[in-house]
Amino acid sequence: MAGAAHPEAMAPPKKGPTRTAPPQMPESWWGAPRIRTYLLFGATGIVYFLAGTVVLKLAWALGTGPEAWDRALGDLSHPLYLVFHALTLVSLIFVGVRAFGTMMPKMQPRNGPLPVLAAGTVKGLIFGAWAALTVLLGLILAGKIFP
Amino acid sequence: MKHLLLKLEPIIWLLFGAGLSIGTMLLTGFVIVVGLAIPMGLVDPSALAYPRAHALASSWLGRLVVLGLIALPLWKGAHHIRSLSVDFNGGDRDGAVGGLLYLAAGICSVLGIIAVAQL
Repeated sequence: MAGAAHPEAMAPPKKGPTRTAPPQMPESWWGAPRIRTYLLFGATGIVYFLAGTVVLKLAWALGTGPEAWDRALGDLSHPLYLVFHALTLVSLIFVGVRAFGTMMPKMQPRNGPLPVLAAGTVKGLIFGAWAALTVLLGLILAGKIFP
Repeated sequence: MKHLLLKLEPIIWLLFGAGLSIGTMLLTGFVIVVGLAIPMGLVDPSALAYPRAHALASSWLGRLVVLGLIALPLWKGAHHIRSLSVDFNGGDRDGAVGGLLYLAAGICSVLGIIAVAQL
């Protein structure tokens, strides 16, 4: 039976930086569903960034006074804002389904003090928290709770 | 710049991760009601008349939620746009692009803190 290989057996004669090829996007990326989905996931960043600035604008108007607040809220009825918010909702659902449903169940620490939960349990907990927070915040904002 | 970004990576990833998870959870209900249902007339706009909106947002929990709604999506967005830039052969310009994006997210976050403090 062969002995254990020497850990340095495959090392180059001279130490140097790890030789890796620079990452490159394949030219046919639009035809590869996995890359396309991955890029779409990254592209939601543009929508998130803009959504953050919209909330900043609203918060600023709320701090300015009633007229500014009414004007800012009224601006949201513009078709461009409606299209943007529809796109934001699609992006949020896409990110939530991909991150909470696919990625997070696989990201549990394997050697920590906490038990590793089944993927279905993790999905259920995260989706449950997402749904509960969405309903709670929605009802509060719609005036159904704390009127 | 690249060296600084590497040093700040734990903070950036913390904000990015919070934006991805908590930001998504908070923003969904907000966008459904404030971005869509009220402008489309599905919810009575008086629900967010100034006195009620101000009372909700100026409580300590309200301020925290509003700040989360501003800052977390910005950091998630900045980091994902940076990674998108790298994916499209932007490795060489990554220091400048990443620096600009995080600077923009940082400035808007500070403005968010000021906006929330003014409530």
